[in-house]
Amino acid sequence: MSHVVTIETEVRDVTAIRQATRRLQLPEPTFGEVRLFNDRKRGWAIQLRDWRYPVVADVTTGRLDYDNYNGHWGSQKELDQFLQRYAVERATIEARKQGHTAIEQSLPDGSIKLVIQVGG
Amino acid sequence: MKTIEIIVGPTGESRLETWGFQGSECREASRFLEAALGQHTSETLTAEFHASEITQQNQIEQKE
Repeated sequence: MSHVVTIETEVRDVTAIRQATRRLQLPEPTFGEVRLFNDRKRGWAIQLRDWRYPVVADVTTGRLDYDNYNGHWGSQKELDQFLQRYAVERATIEARKQGHTAIEQSLPDGSIKLVIQVGG
Repeated sequence: MKTIEIIVGPTGESRLETWGFQGSECREASRFLEAALGQHTSETLTAEFHASEITQQNQIEQKE
C-alpha cells in the first residue's frame, strides 16, 4: 500500500450517467430544461425511483440539483445508490480506457469494491 | 502485482488505495481515476510510500 485518497464524487460524465441508469433499471437520462418544485434547471435529468422531480446533473460543474423536500418527495437512499453506481461505472470506463482490467465485487456493508490491475 | 483498489461506499464517496507501486509512482498511476471521480477530501501517504522514497533517496546519495 502506498497512498490512500478519499474522493467526493462529482457527476461529470454522460456515458457513466447512462450506464448507471441502465444498471439501476431507471429511465434513460434526457438533456434539457427541467422543472423542479419552484425552480427550473438545465442539464441531464435523471429520474430516480419514486422521486417526484428528477435530479438534474450539470456535467460542466459536476453539480446535482434536486428538490426532494427533505426526503418527502424522494428518498436520499435512491440518490446515494445512483451516486455509488455512477462512481463505479466512471472508474471502470476510465480504467478500461487505460487498458487496465477492472473487477467489481459487492461488500457486505453495501460498498462496492473495484480492483484495477495495472499492467507494466 | 500493481493494483489500484477503489471502495465506493453506499453514499457514493470513494476510497482509493494503491498497492505494489514504488514511491511516488502510485500517485502518477492513480491520478487519472482521481481526476475522473471528483474532488479529494483527504490524502494519506502510508509507511510504504515513505520507506520507498527513503530508499530512493539513499540510492541517490550513494551515487554521489
